[in-house]
Amino acid sequence: MTADTNKFVIPIGPQHPALKEPANFEFWVDGEIVTGASVRLGYVHRGIEKGAEARTWTQNLYLMERICGICSHVHATAYTLGVEKLAGVEVPPRANAIRQLMAELERIHSHMLWLGVAAHEGGFDTLFMYSWRDRETVMDLLEKISGNKVHYSANLLGGVKFDITPELAAEVHKGLDFLEERNRFYLKVVTTDETFIGRTRDIGTMTTEKAEFLGAIGPTARASGVARDIRVDAPYLTYDQFPVKVMTHTSGDLHGRFIVRIHETFESIRVIREILDHIPQGDLTTRVPRRIPAGEAVSRVEAPRGELLYFIASNGSEKPERVKVRTPSLCNWSTVLSLAIGLKLADMPMLLSGIDPCFSCNDRSIRLKRGQQDPQVWSWEKLRQYGIEYYR
Amino acid sequence: MSVGPMISDLLRSLFKQPATELYPFVKTPAPTRLRGKLTWDPTSCTGCQLCVKDCPANAIELIVIDKANKRFIMNYHADHCIYCAQCVVSCRFNCLRLSNEDWELAAAQKQPFEVYYGKEEDVALFMEQAAKTGAKQA
Repeated sequence: MTADTNKFVIPIGPQHPALKEPANFEFWVDGEIVTGASVRLGYVHRGIEKGAEARTWTQNLYLMERICGICSHVHATAYTLGVEKLAGVEVPPRANAIRQLMAELERIHSHMLWLGVAAHEGGFDTLFMYSWRDRETVMDLLEKISGNKVHYSANLLGGVKFDITPELAAEVHKGLDFLEERNRFYLKVVTTDETFIGRTRDIGTMTTEKAEFLGAIGPTARASGVARDIRVDAPYLTYDQFPVKVMTHTSGDLHGRFIVRIHETFESIRVIREILDHIPQGDLTTRVPRRIPAGEAVSRVEAPRGELLYFIASNGSEKPERVKVRTPSLCNWSTVLSLAIGLKLADMPMLLSGIDPCFSCNDRSIRLKRGQQDPQVWSWEKLRQYGIEYYR
Repeated sequence: MSVGPMISDLLRSLFKQPATELYPFVKTPAPTRLRGKLTWDPTSCTGCQLCVKDCPANAIELIVIDKANKRFIMNYHADHCIYCAQCVVSCRFNCLRLSNEDWELAAAQKQPFEVYYGKEEDVALFMEQAAKTGAKQA
């Protein structure tokens, strides 16, 4: 993003830039109006992709789950789908249905978390507190099913760990009734509260063309009328058996993103009920070899924030050769930088949280090969020497 | 358009119990599937080491005292454990279980996280040997 150096620069972050994760934003302002923006990421780069190369296929399942705390299940699902594709195994339909059920419960929990965060950024802390209180319901359901509130670890290579018993199904039904009622109320709140509408309507409006041009994905793009959803476009798990509808909105502003996400929550509730009522019978697991045949696989799933892509390469050993993850937050940053121009500085926290960013998800490093004389490539010895000199 | 559509909700909350729990004074029972501290039953363990191999956090060590007589002890590092239950699934002899009662594992020292499972005499023998090697090295 080019910037006029005569203008005032306001740095936000890397500590706590509206959200409790690190990133550095610079906004060039002319009075109150933003004239340019830039983002610097990478503060929580953890080297997970490299770490994956040193662990076995099974161990990696839990490492991948820890890329994100909010969408842990979809990460593990994307990874298992890729590995199962490489191994050429067919997962029992019941296991796939349970995976889908967990993914949709996770989507409800993620969207309700976002609703609270976004309301908080807009100064509506009452909505924040109440939506997070109600979010406990879905987290308790996840805990009852899997035994953990955040890292459910439901997936196994070749199936799932837990079954859905009729008693559990009844509890989920009960929880969903409550969540549906509460979300109907929140939809009413965000669409009628005058002060809140003042903070969201016609703020950061993105046209369908612009969303396509900037490569926006997930609910961010769907709020601009882009009907793109991996669950529908390329169904995985049992999404062909229990299909979901793509929720879109035409307004393209922050208000539209609230509506799309709450409608998606309703759609998730509907599909979970359908799964519970018509869950296929059968086994929960199938055998997957410890050594995965050599090859490459790409798996795509729809995370709560948008398309999540895994590229997995195997050399036929017990450990993967390469695991590449592309998380949805990374694709949506350009929309923030582009839409910020012309808005007031006070709208920036709302605009940032509008894409539901997950910073630790998208911090990954890519090295561009620049021939032999690459100044970015250091030997271990040189790096060590640099460290010694630095602290001298 | 309306102003303050949440006011009715707020007023109703005045007459409700707090949503928070009074932990640790009042403890709600944990769900039956909760994944807490790992327990090991040595009776049917064959020492196949699959749990050790599959553990993503290197939290399990299976120490062989006498392979022929199937005498093993398990050193469980509760501070490494991520409570994923992969070992429970990997074990073909159902020796491992994650407790849903023992989950309040916070401690100020490292020592409570070093857990030894196995027959008492085996653990004592191992400790004795470890103390000897420690003394030699010192």
